[in-house]
Amino acid sequence: MKEFQVNGAVLKCYPLTAAQRIHNYSVSYCPNHQQLLNIGTGFYVQEDTDFNILKEAVYAAYEQFESMRLRFLKDEDGTVYQYVVPTEDRDIQFVDFSKWKEEDAHDEMRKWTAVPFKRFHSPMNQVVMIKLPDGFNGIYLKVDHMTMDSSSLIAFDRYILETYCAKRYNTPKPKPAQSYIKALERDLAYEAGSAAYKKDAAYWTGEIEKSEPMYTDFNGMGRLITQRRENNNPNQRSAMVTSSSPEASISIYKLEKEPSERLIEYCEKNHVPMVCLLLMGLRTVLSKFNNDEKDVSINSCVARRGTLLEKNSGGTRIHFFPLRTIIEPEATFLEAVHTIQEEQNRLFRHANYDPVAYRYQRSKHWNLPPGTSYESISLTYQPLTLKQDADKIPDVPYKTFWYTNGVAAQPLYLTVMHRVEDNGLNFNFEYKKDAVTDYEMEYLYYYLCRVLFRGIENSSRTVREILEMI
Amino acid sequence: MLEKLKPIICEYVDVEPEEITTDAKFIEDLHFNSYDFMSFLGEVEEMLGVTVDEAEILNLHTVGDAISYLENLQ
Repeated sequence: MKEFQVNGAVLKCYPLTAAQRIHNYSVSYCPNHQQLLNIGTGFYVQEDTDFNILKEAVYAAYEQFESMRLRFLKDEDGTVYQYVVPTEDRDIQFVDFSKWKEEDAHDEMRKWTAVPFKRFHSPMNQVVMIKLPDGFNGIYLKVDHMTMDSSSLIAFDRYILETYCAKRYNTPKPKPAQSYIKALERDLAYEAGSAAYKKDAAYWTGEIEKSEPMYTDFNGMGRLITQRRENNNPNQRSAMVTSSSPEASISIYKLEKEPSERLIEYCEKNHVPMVCLLLMGLRTVLSKFNNDEKDVSINSCVARRGTLLEKNSGGTRIHFFPLRTIIEPEATFLEAVHTIQEEQNRLFRHANYDPVAYRYQRSKHWNLPPGTSYESISLTYQPLTLKQDADKIPDVPYKTFWYTNGVAAQPLYLTVMHRVEDNGLNFNFEYKKDAVTDYEMEYLYYYLCRVLFRGIENSSRTVREILEMI
Repeated sequence: MLEKLKPIICEYVDVEPEEITTDAKFIEDLHFNSYDFMSFLGEVEEMLGVTVDEAEILNLHTVGDAISYLENLQ
């Protein structure tokens, strides 16, 4: 922690955490696409909204969530620090789209999402109260990923919604948020050479040195074979998903309510987390597309929100680590899911470690050609929805949206989340346009569903049988 | 052991200490998710000076299961 003079006041400023440094690195190397870290969301409720009460609820949420009042500064050496301002003084904008076509309104909000934030001594979010056609009203929220992630965004939106309902309908008030600074200080103490950090570093060194992983592409063997030829190295196991531009798009596939329920029931019955089932589906598809390869790695998102302090303090905490599994074709579907679960549990225990340090160490150990990796896909499963406490929020129709900022840092990033209206699963594929096509996404989604439903209809089917069936 | 675990469990999930019994199931009753559970075990490991086996963790469904397992490790 350092003290800096900001607008005449001496403020406590903190270094960035590992989760923030990776975002800072991405945005530093994309000078022409500063909107890279923007996340745009909207939630709308079919209700005759009192916008004065909604505005009060937004200010109440700003008061609670320190990370929504976060600012960055750069010192004379170029090091970035963060500090929290005591209050949010901006007016909350209101935009009436009720006379627009709904799709045009969402297009307009997509454009807002692509507008970069000023990075230093400036707010890193924007809240707009929105009136849509057909009586839907709500909030558009744009945040910088260095200050918030999807879990904290949902927590912030829920706080607004629950405060609004408490004021308007006398429903129970939301519980107070916890201190972002307290959580930040704990993270920084961990990173400053703590015993836990050293233990995690030793674990990841051991993982790296075990054996070299194998790259499995979402589009088959072609990419790896081409790069082996280009580098005159028939044994090359890593590859680069080449991309000359970060321009991105999102394809959303909606799994209907009933089949989504079957997946949820399977997880409950077999005591397996949904993310492990999804990882099983995805790794089997990658195996299928890569000559039944047994060794598959997927970038897995760890939200790192275990304690109540971590869950309720906002901020950005996501770390990505590869979830690598080597699964024999004779393993049954359920055995394979359990193998993934064990591997994921292991990963969870060491997920506070700096993912950039891990990747650097891995590249050095296996002498990877620049820009190459073993993972072609990243996966996030988001279990939280806006509407989790039925007593706090009235049962009225809801709509939620994620707006693309138009660019992406990763070639292919799958986010699976529950729809607020029926708890069905949405599969959101965000992909770089020059690396992946919409058709390829549809193909991948189709195979992913085939694996999942072949597996859950008979868990004792072996991986080999499933690979042959699909 | 139960009394030692209660304050740690309360750091992870929003429950009252009296709801934490040996029969309470981590997922269904206390609303732990996998990450909560692994972080919780990490903290318990540090407190007790033991190391848990990831494969065994899959068999720990209740607080009582965890207590028996941890007591055997000590």
